[in-house]
Amino acid sequence: MSRPLDGIRILDFTHVLAGPFATRILGDMGADVVKVNSIDRATGVNLATHPYFLQFNRNKRSLALDMAQEASRAISRKLCDEADIVINNFSVGVLKRWGIDFDTVAETNAGVIYAEMSGMGDTGPWSKFVTYAPTIHALSGLTHLTGVPGREDIGLGFSYNDHQAGLHAVVAILAALEARNRTGKGQRIDMSQFEVGVNFSGPSLLDWFANGNAARPTGNKLPYDHAAPHNCYKCADTIDDSIENERWIAIACMDENQWQAFKNVMGNPDWANSPQFNSAAERVNASDELDQAISAWTLDLEAAEVMEQCQRAGVPAGIVQNGVDLIEKDPQLAAYDFFQPMEGEHPEYGTMTGDRLPLYFSATPCDDYPRTRELGEDNAAVLTDWLQMSPEEYRVHDESGLLK
Amino acid sequence: MSNPEGALSGVRIIDLTDERGIYGAKLLADLGADVVRPEPPTGDPLRSRGPRLATAPEDQQSLWFAFFASSRRFFTLDLSTAEGNNQLQSLIERASIVLTCKDAFGVNEAKLDEALEKRPELIVIDVTSFGNEGPWANYVSSDLVDGALGGAAATTGDADTAPLKFFGELNYMTSGAYTAIAALSALHHTRSTGEGQRVGVPVQQCIASCLEHVLMFYSYNEQFASTDGPILPRRGSLHWSNAYQVMQAKGGSIMITPTPNIEAQLTWLIEEDAFEDLLDPKYMEPENVQLLIQRIMEVLTTWAGEQDVEALFLAAQERHSPYGWVLPIEKVAENPQLAFREWWQDYKIGAETIKGPGAPYHLSENPWQLQHHGHLDDNTDDILKEIGWTNARGNQS
Repeated sequence: MSRPLDGIRILDFTHVLAGPFATRILGDMGADVVKVNSIDRATGVNLATHPYFLQFNRNKRSLALDMAQEASRAISRKLCDEADIVINNFSVGVLKRWGIDFDTVAETNAGVIYAEMSGMGDTGPWSKFVTYAPTIHALSGLTHLTGVPGREDIGLGFSYNDHQAGLHAVVAILAALEARNRTGKGQRIDMSQFEVGVNFSGPSLLDWFANGNAARPTGNKLPYDHAAPHNCYKCADTIDDSIENERWIAIACMDENQWQAFKNVMGNPDWANSPQFNSAAERVNASDELDQAISAWTLDLEAAEVMEQCQRAGVPAGIVQNGVDLIEKDPQLAAYDFFQPMEGEHPEYGTMTGDRLPLYFSATPCDDYPRTRELGEDNAAVLTDWLQMSPEEYRVHDESGLLK
Repeated sequence: MSNPEGALSGVRIIDLTDERGIYGAKLLADLGADVVRPEPPTGDPLRSRGPRLATAPEDQQSLWFAFFASSRRFFTLDLSTAEGNNQLQSLIERASIVLTCKDAFGVNEAKLDEALEKRPELIVIDVTSFGNEGPWANYVSSDLVDGALGGAAATTGDADTAPLKFFGELNYMTSGAYTAIAALSALHHTRSTGEGQRVGVPVQQCIASCLEHVLMFYSYNEQFASTDGPILPRRGSLHWSNAYQVMQAKGGSIMITPTPNIEAQLTWLIEEDAFEDLLDPKYMEPENVQLLIQRIMEVLTTWAGEQDVEALFLAAQERHSPYGWVLPIEKVAENPQLAFREWWQDYKIGAETIKGPGAPYHLSENPWQLQHHGHLDDNTDDILKEIGWTNARGNQS
């Protein structure tokens, strides 16, 4: 069965997370993604055997090219001519040094969509700055804002902006593809991961510019609206004091009906009918007392029990799930086979497991998840498919040491 | 009317989303699609979301709404009347894409199955919290609860805090981005084949697909010698690699990492005479990489405490070290990189023009552009004409 991006060819010069996540999504949706790596230059999380690499590079074919050699760069130049999309997340200028910058590629491939996912964008006083997601989180305000009042050293618990940069790159690429469907013309996409990150604080930035209000971390409270309770509460199935053995439930009463229903779930205790908890605004003002009282209730109950009781009453509540919960216990994700074995046996790891694309297309289902390939595993197939290279030509290139 | 220069010029979209999908509609609208957002006569409930414009307390202009509902045309629909329902059908008949969130305004009245039967090229995006099947299909949720069940909250916070929600609407911005991807990839398929379809977007799965190390720690735990099990507990800013952490400097906080070039970081510390015992040969043994990282982070913590935060950040970047100054939002607002790139855009909110976030990407041929369509009913006459109604409400032409 077809997938939505069948027939689209992508030449992928990405590394670490942001770029590989983008091309993983495009590959999951059927594009032929050829990931180019130099075996000698692959280190750390870019090693083909590193779990990080294995997780974010499925559904791609692997071409090993020693880009230090001129002949390899000539092959990459030919591949660019065959690509619908060329994508990289190197610092500004690397692909230009290889002779495959946008202007050069567009001379012979006018339809190419050329996406550059640099940290800061290709112009400006910070354009040469080196960034990873924690750098972007810090500079964009996300670290400062995510935490509890009085602290600015918590921030987001994983590389959120890398994932989002990947998602936004896919949006931009697909929009350019739609424009090309209309005009026949390709174009260049300059994406600054920093600008993606700053964008996430949109309402707070407008508040700063319009009203002079500087947002500050609010823990689990909503920063601007009245909703209470709105927090995470420890439960009875906490095993011990170690964080990984704690058990928490998130409860969010977003309106008055949900608060009334929640009171009923708790058995309508006297404290809940205190005047200080009458309205959402009053509950927010008295949230310390409110949270204390709710914690006293949840500490006698298991998290799953609280969730079920709340949900039966129409109150948003959910277990704070960790990786083991998601993969082993969550019945909803299991119902969707959200975690599933990747197709094919990896020479070193055997059958690998991954999370599927969270999009369910009725006419073009995306259910194919071939495992991450070893570096260079698809050299012959790619060069034959894309460049119609003869077996003899391939042998010569292989023996000359280009394909590694 | 769409932006004629936008990448999505000519693409007609009906936006029946709530918080779970509205960011996706924004991404598409700002790229030039003609996105019409119907509202009930009582007004879109999202117009009450804070923060609000302080200078316009009388009409409660929502800055949240101005951001998330940018570049939209708004249209009041009274779905308690036959006329309103007919107008909704007329809107859908002209759309390429309908974006929906389960139980949002207009979704249950839209008769989208019938619309798809009549127009097989139609694309319908169905955003739900948990999907339409499975034991939790009817669970109710919020950004906090979806973040908890999706696995994000467990990663965030510190040993002395509860698990934390990200500031703002970051979980729903993930499902929003996936919403836009679903719409555009389905549109590409329609352009190729003429075939439309429905695409389900479960928010919980969107969040669970963006957890970086969480699945990796479960599946490959034995490779991470520093951990005791398949769960990495929340631990403030300390990255799963143990090599990135927010530290205190003079005048502020800074995210510091010795990666990607630990030798270069060591050289810098030697130049600063701040290397302490880091030249001990034991740290150079390949099997002691984690020990080296742990020790170098300790040394960096002490050293950073004596440095001016801004000078340290700029010196690090001069050396290609990816340090990040932890900036509050007012400092982000005056960032020189954003200023140089003329990144900020004007948002017209009520009678005011307010500076706000610009493009998350720049397309060379189809510039990203905010569209300003005015107030709630400013577009009503145009939309009624477009769908074949007269400009006097209630009279079909």
